[in-house]
Amino acid sequence: MDEEFDVIVVGAGFGGPVAARICAKAGLKTLMIERSENVGDKVISGLTIPFYGFLFGPEFIRDGNPPIERPSDGIINYIIKDIEKGDIEIDDSLRVPKPFSPIIAFGYNAYCKPFCEWEVRKAVDAGAILKKSTTAIDVIREDKYVKGIITDKGERIRSKIVIDAEGSKGLLAVKAGIREKYRPETISLADTYDYVMLKEYVDKIFGYSVKMCWGWDEQRIAPPLGYGNGLMVWPYRNSIHFMQDQCLRINESHIPNLNKLFKEYHSNITQKLPWWKNLVEPRAKLRARMWDGFEIYVGLNKELRNMPNHIDGMILIGDAAGLESTELCDGVPAAWFSAEIAANVAIDAIHTNNTSKLFLKKYDRKIKRHPIIQWSISGRNRFNLRTAQKEHDLKKLRKYIHNGWGLGSLTHFMTPFFKMLLSDVNKDPTIITKWIKMFFRYYQNWFYESYDYSSIRKFREATSKKLKKMEMKFTRYLRLIDSLLKSLKKRKKLLSAIVVPFSNSLNNLMKKTLPIFEPIYSFILKLLNPISNRLNIKILKFVEYANPSVFHT
Amino acid sequence: MVRTFKEFPGVEWVEGTGDFIKINEEKCIGCMNCVNVCLASCFEIVEQKARVKSLEKCMECASCWYVCHEDAIIFTWPLGGTGYKSEWG
Repeated sequence: MDEEFDVIVVGAGFGGPVAARICAKAGLKTLMIERSENVGDKVISGLTIPFYGFLFGPEFIRDGNPPIERPSDGIINYIIKDIEKGDIEIDDSLRVPKPFSPIIAFGYNAYCKPFCEWEVRKAVDAGAILKKSTTAIDVIREDKYVKGIITDKGERIRSKIVIDAEGSKGLLAVKAGIREKYRPETISLADTYDYVMLKEYVDKIFGYSVKMCWGWDEQRIAPPLGYGNGLMVWPYRNSIHFMQDQCLRINESHIPNLNKLFKEYHSNITQKLPWWKNLVEPRAKLRARMWDGFEIYVGLNKELRNMPNHIDGMILIGDAAGLESTELCDGVPAAWFSAEIAANVAIDAIHTNNTSKLFLKKYDRKIKRHPIIQWSISGRNRFNLRTAQKEHDLKKLRKYIHNGWGLGSLTHFMTPFFKMLLSDVNKDPTIITKWIKMFFRYYQNWFYESYDYSSIRKFREATSKKLKKMEMKFTRYLRLIDSLLKSLKKRKKLLSAIVVPFSNSLNNLMKKTLPIFEPIYSFILKLLNPISNRLNIKILKFVEYANPSVFHT
Repeated sequence: MVRTFKEFPGVEWVEGTGDFIKINEEKCIGCMNCVNVCLASCFEIVEQKARVKSLEKCMECASCWYVCHEDAIIFTWPLGGTGYKSEWG
């Protein structure tokens, strides 16, 4: 390939296509290279993409119709005190309540491959060129600058900027000298199983909830993760995804025999854990087993967290930059956010003809200031959980589970969430109604299996007067919200004087008020349960029958 | 050519990867770390040195590379279009 590109994006996973699409849309000559034969062949994860990825992520995903397997309305935590006696506690406080669930979702479960394929098609539609079955083995260096890549076939493909989106391991980043090999205690090996199960059983056993199990090491139910002991199960449409993960080194000297451990834990789970043994095991059929290593503990180390993600002519994004969440084991939102930032910085750099690291530092500054990225990569609840396990302190274990994967997460999530929310609403007040439409559209798409590029479109046709009236009401209310928010924008100065300090102290406020607020909240939920259920059925019916155009932006 | 294995359903391996994991015998001290972490049993110890037995079931997780504190393992990506692939990741 003798052509010269403006941008080469290495890797067509979750982050790469976002960067490629934005660059191509801006008129840059963009090449995306992928080492596998087909997009998504090598992407492995159990996957709930959290809602904040969709809210604050790329516009084309938020306003599009990506393929999802099931909305997820929250987490059920099983605290396993004694597996033999069946002594298990439940913390399911982190749930979207009815009537909003499952339309307003905590996240969306998805298979990696179709999702990445969808993103890549969007990038190609925007003008990016995709080159598959090509591994980047090194970068082209001229003076100090990265000026392209060298492929496994010996091709030298030149570009003004390289965006490295190769995912975990980041071998090209190591080759380019931006990273060194991470220490094993920062890596988690995730052993993943995919089971086929009839949709009616998935609905019945899981509904829209992700199940997580936590316990003591001696339960031999899930590997000690290094920082926390657990396993996760995600419900998909006609299948479930199961993941047990293990830190590669728990302390300086100990490298466990993972083959033995994973086998032991997997058979204990399937044979002893009551809901698995009684409900899942008789109905599920193993379809696939795979594993991969992820750098989920990088963010726990301040030094590693603050490493530069760029050199002259090259930027790292997503997992390649170590932007994975310790607590949710999730890297997709951070990959999307960083891809968007990297692409915009690359566009500026190319337009000003300055790809020096001094200019690209802008990217790192934005990453370090990004409230959600920084929050997601530095959460310490799983680290704390490990201490509770070592001390065998049930009170602490409950507390950290509640803080990490229960309602207690509001005590550390509210400030970053509101900061992002305010900055996005400030840029475009109508974004709130776009979000509402997104939730409704995603649910409707899931219900009908209707996504962009998919041939299955079987919307029900209903044109009753009542439905038309509801559609009009929905549209009218959203317009009303839009005009209200636009008018508020005029009072921006006054509002930011009140709202910004408020959002900064939200975490602290939640810490102080949650112990009082939580019992009241659950009491009210119980009290309103019959009304909520009825309202929920009405809303779901509306979304199932409404004309899809009502939810499009 | 594509390979499958009963114990790892749902995954296929495309041949032609090349020797993408190598061991520097001079550096290897036979500590067993690579043998312990590999779920695909790619390694064996011969005369107190680790040796790549077979990469046919390797899922390219790089755990062996991470746990080798002597830096005796050289890990690179397999050639483009080869190695493991799965629909269900």
